[in-house]
Order: sequence, then C-alpha cells, then structure tokens
Amino acid sequence: MGERPTEPCGRAGESFHLALPARRLPKAKGRTGNGSMSWSKRMAELLPGSITRDSGGTEPDPRFTFANERTFLAWSRTALALVVAGLGIVQLLPPFPRVPAGRHLLGIPLIVLGAVLAVAAYVEWGRSQRALRRGEPLPHSILPWILAATVTAIAVIAAAVVLVSALR
Amino acid sequence: MTAPPTGAPAPGDDPEERDPGFARERTSLAWTRTALSFAALGGVMLKVNVLTGLIILAVAPVVWQAGRIARGRSPVAGLPVVGAARLFLIAISIVAVSLLCLAVAIFGSSVPGALR
Repeated sequence: MGERPTEPCGRAGESFHLALPARRLPKAKGRTGNGSMSWSKRMAELLPGSITRDSGGTEPDPRFTFANERTFLAWSRTALALVVAGLGIVQLLPPFPRVPAGRHLLGIPLIVLGAVLAVAAYVEWGRSQRALRRGEPLPHSILPWILAATVTAIAVIAAAVVLVSALR
Repeated sequence: MTAPPTGAPAPGDDPEERDPGFARERTSLAWTRTALSFAALGGVMLKVNVLTGLIILAVAPVVWQAGRIARGRSPVAGLPVVGAARLFLIAISIVAVSLLCLAVAIFGSSVPGALR
C-alpha cells in the first residue's frame, strides 16, 4: 500500500485527478470504509473542486480517457433527448381524449429521467476513469438498467393511456 | 502503429501518429453533437416559452467552447487533462435545463395543437 501516496501521478504537468472518492487504505477487512463516510462528504467528493485530491494510479492510455469522455457525452445527449421528448409530449401534443392527465403522466417521468441520467453518467464517468487509472476492471454500469426500466415503465403507461383514450 | 503513445510528440505528419485512433477528433465531434443537442432543446423550447428557450439556447455555445478547450492538445503530446469540471458543467447544465423544462411542463400553458 505504500506505493500510492508517494508515487507521482502521470508525467509532470498532466495532473489528472478524479472527482470521486479516493481509494481509502483498507483499515479493516469489511467494507466499512465506504459506509462510514458521511453523506455530505461523499457528495463533496463528487464536485470537481475535489480534483486536487489524487485518486492514485497512473495516467491511462489517452485513447481510453477520450473514450470514457465520449461515453459520458453520449449519455448526456441521451438525457437531453429524453428531456426534449418529455417537453414535446406535455407541451406540443394535443391532449388525449378522456385522459386529461395523460400528457403529464408520460412527459414528466421522461424529463426527470433525463436529469437522473445526467447525474448518473457523471458519477459513472468518474468511477470508470478511476478504474482506468488503476488498471482495474471497469465497474458495472447501472445506466442501461435505469434507462431500460424507466423507458419500459413509460411505454406501459403510454399503452394504457392510448388504449383508454381510444376505447369507449 | 507499433509503439504505444509515449511522451514525446511524433514529428511525422501521419495523422494516426498525432492522434491515435482519432480519439481526439472523435471526442471533439462528440462535444459538438452535445452542444447541438442543447441547441435543439432550446429550439423546441422557443416554441413553448421564448424566454426559457433563449436561456437554453445560450448554454449551447458554452458547451461548444468547453469542448474546444481540449482540442488543441495532442494525446501523444501527453495530455488528456480531462477536466472533471467540464463534464461536471454538462451534468449540472442538464439538471438545470430539465428543471426548467419541468417547471414549464407543469405550470406553463400548453400550446394547443402545436403538433397536428
């Protein structure tokens, strides 16, 4: 464990630091390390201001860093597209007959999902970058799960709204 | 490409040398697409609420500029200083924009039959 604090990170002048919690030296065998962190401290370490604290490891291949950045940007565009879709449903679509709240029922979850995805993508980017620096396997991403689950739920609601407004 | 990128910038004119896998180029294009996505959302919003639309449209050039910051740097020359701050800016912008959209969606009067 002694190598981490003393090892300079990357070449001179290319200080990349992560906005995520630095690896803590294992004090105990269990996973008490993460759990004992206070909520506010964990939030503070998500801020880019905490990039002055190093997360260990060495600078990865630039291609990996760029690819990670592109992945984040792609998720951001997905989030924006969801917000556009939600806004369009609520504001631009004519109302569903017999389902007055139908547009809000469909659009508002989409907008909220956009905001959630944006934050989750940032957290995910930090985790991946940290893993890249340390040569660890990339962490399991929950973003596709969030997206698939929410879109499925909204699709079911949409089918119900369309059915109710068409029948009878 | 036999040697992985090391410290010194390659003197050659081979673009593959200067930008392995065109990673920098592709990332730059991804930033452009993201800025355009903000502009698209702003355009839709203009139709709904002009002031909010203008606010969102103003985010697009900021994102564009944030993407240009990394453009001049060659990865071979050493550097993705990936700004966590730039990516954080994007995430925060999307959250702010979606809150704006949420407010407009809930409280704004709908545009009757804008899509017909």
